[in-house]
Amino acid sequence: MKRREFLRKLGVGALAALGMPYIAMAQARPVKLAALLPLTGPFAFAGNAGREGFVDGVDYVNEVQGGISGRRLELIVEDTGYDVAKGTAAFNRVVSRERPDELLFVYGDSTGLSKALAPEIARMGLPYSATSFSSELADPKTYPTIFVFGPTYNDMMEALLRQIRLQKGRARIALVYSNTEFGRDPIPYAKERAKALGMEVVHEEVTPPAFTDATPVVLNLRRANPDFVILQGYALSVEPLILRTAREQGLQAQFMGTYYSAELALIQRAGPAAEGFTVTYHNAYWYDTLVPAVDEMRKFRQRKGRDTSYRPTYYMGSLAVVLAIAEAMRRAAGAGKLTRAGLVEYLEKLGDYNGLGLQRSYQFVNHRLPYTKLYRASVKDGRFNAITDWLKLA
Amino acid sequence: MSDLLPYLIGGLANGALYGLLALGFVLVYRATSVVNFAIGEFLLLGAYLTYTFALFLPLPLAMLAALPVAFLFGLLVERGFVRPLLGRNVVAVIMATIGLAAALDGGVQLAWGPDLKYLSGELPQLGFQLGEVFVPSRALWNLLLALPLGLFLLWLLRRSRYGILVRAISEKEVAALALGIPTARILAGVWGVSALLATLAGALLAVASGVGPNLVFLGLKVFPVAILGGLDSVGGALLAGFILGILEALSQRHLEPVLPGFTEALPFVVVLLVLLVRPYGLLGERQIERV
Repeated sequence: MKRREFLRKLGVGALAALGMPYIAMAQARPVKLAALLPLTGPFAFAGNAGREGFVDGVDYVNEVQGGISGRRLELIVEDTGYDVAKGTAAFNRVVSRERPDELLFVYGDSTGLSKALAPEIARMGLPYSATSFSSELADPKTYPTIFVFGPTYNDMMEALLRQIRLQKGRARIALVYSNTEFGRDPIPYAKERAKALGMEVVHEEVTPPAFTDATPVVLNLRRANPDFVILQGYALSVEPLILRTAREQGLQAQFMGTYYSAELALIQRAGPAAEGFTVTYHNAYWYDTLVPAVDEMRKFRQRKGRDTSYRPTYYMGSLAVVLAIAEAMRRAAGAGKLTRAGLVEYLEKLGDYNGLGLQRSYQFVNHRLPYTKLYRASVKDGRFNAITDWLKLA
Repeated sequence: MSDLLPYLIGGLANGALYGLLALGFVLVYRATSVVNFAIGEFLLLGAYLTYTFALFLPLPLAMLAALPVAFLFGLLVERGFVRPLLGRNVVAVIMATIGLAAALDGGVQLAWGPDLKYLSGELPQLGFQLGEVFVPSRALWNLLLALPLGLFLLWLLRRSRYGILVRAISEKEVAALALGIPTARILAGVWGVSALLATLAGALLAVASGVGPNLVFLGLKVFPVAILGGLDSVGGALLAGFILGILEALSQRHLEPVLPGFTEALPFVVVLLVLLVRPYGLLGERQIERV
C-alpha cells in the first residue's frame, strides 16, 4: 500500500471511528422530555431559571454523557403562564403532537396543573413530575407514573417542626400561608404533627398569594405572640415584605419557610430582616462548589460560553430532574425497556444514584424523595448556610 | 384603641394607594367613557420605570424622573390605541385596552427580564413610635404623596380651566368640539395624568415590596374601588379607596380568625352590597335614561 493511500484510509477510518457515534446518535430517533414551565406571568423568574436548568442538563447529557444509549435527548419547552388552563392546553398540544415511544417524560409547573392533569397522565402511563411538592401527588397507588423529585410539603413541614422541637420544647407556632393549593397543601399535616409533638399552633393566617402590605399579618402575629412562624405558599412574592415588616413592628418570632423560599433573592430583598430565616432545601446551591454537579456545570457552562454567575435554586431543581431522568432512561435502554413503563420501573430503582451530588439519593419512597437539609440565612455572607446534614423524613 | 390603631394606619396607607390608582382610572372613564383594563399594567410599567431610574439616581429623584416618562407613555397610548377607536363600539375600545394589557405584560418581561427586582435605595425614613404603636415610614409616604395629590386633582377638576374643559368634554364631547375646545389634546392629557398616577402608585409599591409581575394584581383592586366610589366620581374614587383600605384592615383584625381568606373577597362583597342600595356608587352621578 502506497503511503498516500495508507494515509487516506487511515483518515477515513479515524473519521468513521470518531464521527460514527455522533452520526448514529443524530440518525436514531430522539428521546424527548417536555417541560411545561411558567415562562411568563408571576412566576416567570422561576420558570425561566428552571428552563435554563433543563437546557443545560439536556446539553450535558447529550454532549458529555453521550445521550441516552446513543439516542439524543431532546427537550420540548412550553409556556404555561402559571395558568392551569394554558398549562393543560400546552400538555394536550405536546402529547398529541409527539409519538408515545419518543415522548417519555413530562414536567409540569404547579400543584394545580399537576392535579388537573393527574388522571390523564395515569391513563396514558406517562412518567411525570412537576415543580410541585404536593403530598397528594406522591401516591403511586393512585398516580403510578407521577414522581416528586424531593420531599413533599408535608415532609418539609416535618423537617421544620423537628428543628423547632430541638430549639424549644413546647413551642408556640403560627402558620402563615397563601390561599392556594400550594399554600394549603401541608397545613392539616403541620397542625396535626405540631400537636403530636407537644407544640401549640397559636395562630393561622391565610393570605392572598401576593400582597403589598404585610402590616395586618404581622400585627395579628404579634397579638398571637408565637415563638416560630412558618411561611408556606409564596415563592418570594411576600416573604421579604413580611420579614421586613416583622422587624419594623418588633416581632421577636423566628421565621421559617420551605423549598420555594430558599432563594438568595430573599436575603437581598429582606436585608437584615432575613437574618436567621430557616428553610428546607434539598438540592445544592450554586456556591456549593464541593458538590460535583456544581463544579461540573460551572465548567460546562464556561466551555459553552454561558454565564457562570449564580444560578438560582429553580435552575438546580431542574438540573437534578434531568440528570436523574437521563440516568433512569439509560438504565432502561440498557435493559431494552426504553419505554414509558420502562422509565417508571427504572426511576423506582434509582436508589444508588445521586445526580452528581445534587440529591442525597434518588431512593423514592412512595414516589417522593423524603430527604432534605435545613439552611439558615446569613445576611453577612449573603447566602443560606446548611445547619443540618441530610434529614430522613420517612 | 391602641390595639386597633396600627391596623387603621395600615388601612389608610393602603387606601391612599387604592385611591391614587382608582383616581387615574376614573379620570379616564369620566373623560372618555373608556374602561381601561390595562390600569394594572400602567402601574407595573411605572414600577419598572422607577426601578430603572433608581439604578443611577437616588430613589426620590428616580420616582420624580419616572413621572414625565409615564405621562408621555399615557399620551402615546391615547394616540396609538384609543383615539383611532373613538366613536366606534365601546367593546372595541375595551378589547383594545385588554390587548394593550397583554402586550404590556409581555413587553415588560422582554425589556426587563423575568427576574424579580428590588430597588437599590430607600425613601427617607419617616417612621416613628407613637406611644405603643409604630407608625411605619411606608404608610406615611403613601399618605403624604397620595392624599395631597388626590386633593389637588379634585381642586384642578373643579376650579381650574383645564378641569372645566375636561368636565365639558365628559358632558358632551360634540358640543365641546363645536365650541372650539381642543378635545383631542385634553383627552390625551387625561390619559397622561392617569399613567402618571398609576406610576406613582407603582413606585410606592416597588419601594415597599420590590418589582415583579405580581404587582399587576393590584390593578384588580381598582375595579371595586372605582365602582364603589362611582365610576365617574373623582372624589368618590379617593373616598372609596380609603373606605376599602380601612375595611380590609378591620377584616384582617376581626374576621380573618373566624373566616380565613375572607379579606381577599371583602372589596367585592362591599361593592355588591353598596350597589344594591346605590347603583351609581357612593358619589357617582345618577343618570336617568329616557327611552
